Amino acid sequence: MAFNEFIQRTCKKLGENNKPTYVVMAIAAVKGICRPLFTMMDTTESPETKKYTALREGLTEAIAIPAYWACGELAGKMAKRMFSDKGLAKRAEKNMMFIGVCAAALFVIPGVCSAVIKPMMDAIGLKAPDQKHAPKPAENPQLTVITPANNRLTKLTSPYTSMHAFQNRPQSGLRVGGL
Amino acid sequence: MINGISSLITSSQLANIAQNTTQSVAVETTLKSIGRPGFILIDKDIDADTKQYAAAKEFLYQATCLAVYMALIVPIFKKGGFKLAKNVIFKDTKGFEHFKDVKEYMHYRKLAENPSVKNRMSTLNKEILSEGKLVKEKYDDTLLAELEKKEPDKFDYVKGAVELSNIVGSVLGLAILAPQVSHAFIHPALRFLGLEDKSKKQNAAENKKLDHTA
Repeated sequence: MAFNEFIQRTCKKLGENNKPTYVVMAIAAVKGICRPLFTMMDTTESPETKKYTALREGLTEAIAIPAYWACGELAGKMAKRMFSDKGLAKRAEKNMMFIGVCAAALFVIPGVCSAVIKPMMDAIGLKAPDQKHAPKPAENPQLTVITPANNRLTKLTSPYTSMHAFQNRPQSGLRVGGL
Repeated sequence: MINGISSLITSSQLANIAQNTTQSVAVETTLKSIGRPGFILIDKDIDADTKQYAAAKEFLYQATCLAVYMALIVPIFKKGGFKLAKNVIFKDTKGFEHFKDVKEYMHYRKLAENPSVKNRMSTLNKEILSEGKLVKEKYDDTLLAELEKKEPDKFDYVKGAVELSNIVGSVLGLAILAPQVSHAFIHPALRFLGLEDKSKKQNAAENKKLDHTA
């Protein structure tokens, strides 16, 4: 029954004043946990990319929570001082809090994230996966010609024995199937 | 200019949006869908192709979130939350029995928030439902007596129950459900727009296949 009482008290409080900051902060908190988790569970990306993306997503939401709170509360307090009439001041406080949250979503959070996240990631030692400078795979690997020199190199560098190293492989004459 | 700003700040319509979870989340998500891609596009450290791709992806993500939220979460949690509160949480509390659904309560609350008793009653006497009945006929004696008071009971906990349910729905919808839906929708949409290669998907599928067979 204690849970029921807690819900009833929460409902009463929310009915009297449902601050716009409550819902956005709750969403940001759950997103900050779930988005990195979903990213880490993705099997199509490389571990490095996953780690980078998950940390970036977590940091974005970690910045968003205090930003929403600060923008909403500051704007609300500012509005309270602007109006002497009590009724108007109360309404202005609610409206300005909402405008503050909107400003946080539109400029503050993307701006702070752009300015802060990259240096933070660099400081941690994580770099964005650079796809432009990644080594390109061979255009048509099936047509790669294996010369004896290449074969020898594979033998020296790879821990596994290449199938071309087997003695019963035809070393000369007609080769069937491009082997 | 200053008058315009002060009338915006003290607007009762804006206050209604600010106090309504679904409307404020919808406005905020719309702003995010403009702000985040905008900041990606003005970033000087990223090359043009990546910027275009990332901005489109972010925009599609926020748009999907908004669509999922409006289509699924709002109707389910708004109605479900009211019913749950009425029949379980506030079972022994007076107030819920006056209202059949959220719509009826919100109508009453809107009238109760009007400071003039005269305006309240004249609005109630004028409004007609689609089936030709007066809205007043749906109100019981307790509610009519409340509306004639200078400060009527607004049954705050009814609104609070609806808002709490909307908050839970918003969190579940925007933080858990929408990312899953958008994950399935974004890549085909990006390929349709020509911003993502088909080969990338094939490679990803092959990698996945190799992961499972390994």
